Amino acid sequence: MGMTTLSKLQLYLAEIKRNDQHGKKINSFIHVRDEKELLKEASEIDKKIKSGRAGRLAGKIIAVKSNINVKGEIASCASKTLEDYKAPYDATVIEKIRNEDGLIIGMTNMDEFACGSSGETSAFGAIKNPRNLELIPGGSSSGSAASVAAGFCDMSLGSDTGGSIRNPASNCGIVGIKPTYSSVSRYGLIDLSMSFDQIGSLAKNVSDAGLLLDVIKGKDEKDSISEHSEKINFNEIEKIPKELTIGLLDFEIRDKRIQKIIQDKVGEIAKEHKWKIKNVKIENLDLAIETYYPIVYVEFFSATRRFDGRRYGKKIEDAGGPEILRRILGGSEISKAEYGGRYYHQALKIKDLIEKEFSNIFKSVDCIISATVPKLPHKLGTKISVREMYEYDALTSPSNLAGNCSISIPIDELTNIPIGLQITCDKFEEQKMLQIARAFEKFNE
Amino acid sequence: MNNEEIKADAKKIIDSFSEKLSKIKVPDKEPIIKRKEFERIDGNGKDCDNDFKKIMFENAPNKNSDFILAEKKKWE
Repeated sequence: MGMTTLSKLQLYLAEIKRNDQHGKKINSFIHVRDEKELLKEASEIDKKIKSGRAGRLAGKIIAVKSNINVKGEIASCASKTLEDYKAPYDATVIEKIRNEDGLIIGMTNMDEFACGSSGETSAFGAIKNPRNLELIPGGSSSGSAASVAAGFCDMSLGSDTGGSIRNPASNCGIVGIKPTYSSVSRYGLIDLSMSFDQIGSLAKNVSDAGLLLDVIKGKDEKDSISEHSEKINFNEIEKIPKELTIGLLDFEIRDKRIQKIIQDKVGEIAKEHKWKIKNVKIENLDLAIETYYPIVYVEFFSATRRFDGRRYGKKIEDAGGPEILRRILGGSEISKAEYGGRYYHQALKIKDLIEKEFSNIFKSVDCIISATVPKLPHKLGTKISVREMYEYDALTSPSNLAGNCSISIPIDELTNIPIGLQITCDKFEEQKMLQIARAFEKFNE
Repeated sequence: MNNEEIKADAKKIIDSFSEKLSKIKVPDKEPIIKRKEFERIDGNGKDCDNDFKKIMFENAPNKNSDFILAEKKKWE
């Protein structure tokens, strides 16, 4: 007989007490919910399971990134600006999780306002990588990835604007999904950049990440861009695709050892299943960072105007860290009328070109595969330049620019550091993406 | 770094990005708005959550029983 929700919760709580703030000091949670409340909810879920009327997430313990509103919990965005902000309502994704009997265990640590790729910009201290405590976990959904990797929960929610789910998933050796733009409601997500933000799932395996995604996606009248998408058929994703053309991304990355791991793995699985491989080059992909950041700067500046200290405690310019200020002050500067759209509009036009290029390529391949992160994570506290930090997003941000769906799965290790493989499919092809990811996962077992 | 230095640093980064982007020839048109529906459907309404106002007022630093207070003329 499997574990009850209650017994599993107790194990997770004990492990959090042992190793999150003490022991290994992973620092993946900013706040764990009241223990009494959690134990009571777990018992109620177990009663539902026993009576056969439980939802699809019954028995699953879920952590939530601190930029998603969970009613009554602190949604601080890991910033002093919102350190006392208690969420007055549930985000749509939280409502959906509750309706399916998922148990929310707490709010995870993250890069401040999701501005970062390392997990070091949190006002509540840096997060450690559970797979190697000296290294960054990646960001910005650092605590969401670290909490799953450290064995503090079954799955978690993160948000992905330029790779913020896939990057830490890759570095921590777990699975992370960025869904198609507009497939998951953003209602209740404290936004970083409205053109790119998507809430997605992280878990230890593809099936769990897919299950959480299937629960949270769907059209929502509270998010005007949200769209309907088909339910995932979990029997179907277990079948190995018979005919498949893999697009292997032809793009030079800094660490050639990572590139070789990906190429070798794709070669091996294609040989085993008789899949075709086609090298694909995406025009202007080398400009992904240059396109992505001006848009993020301007939209983040706009999104943060409400943090003026009146409704939520502190003014962001007074309480935010250096990366926050860089984006706000930079965004304020480049959106000035005198520049006549030189930055933001030009970047939006190139975003459009990249999106069209992806659409063309998907006419001849089923998916595009690359490494998730182009280089190994650095040691915590190492001084690196802003440009070097932004380079972590080089392979993940293109999917946000194009609005496609992507998944990162652990594929191998390099000097004991997990390496993630990224599978990107066309918009609303999550079913196919999960099926391919499962095939890789099985091949690796 | 002070705010002026951070602003200058950010501008420098974005300028270097912009220089690269400016070399790409793109059609001279406004970016396409991708939204399919331009009018938001009101829906059927929902019962109000009674806790909402209470929690929102707890979050605000300056308030009276009915209003969140903003400072007067601070922008001048």
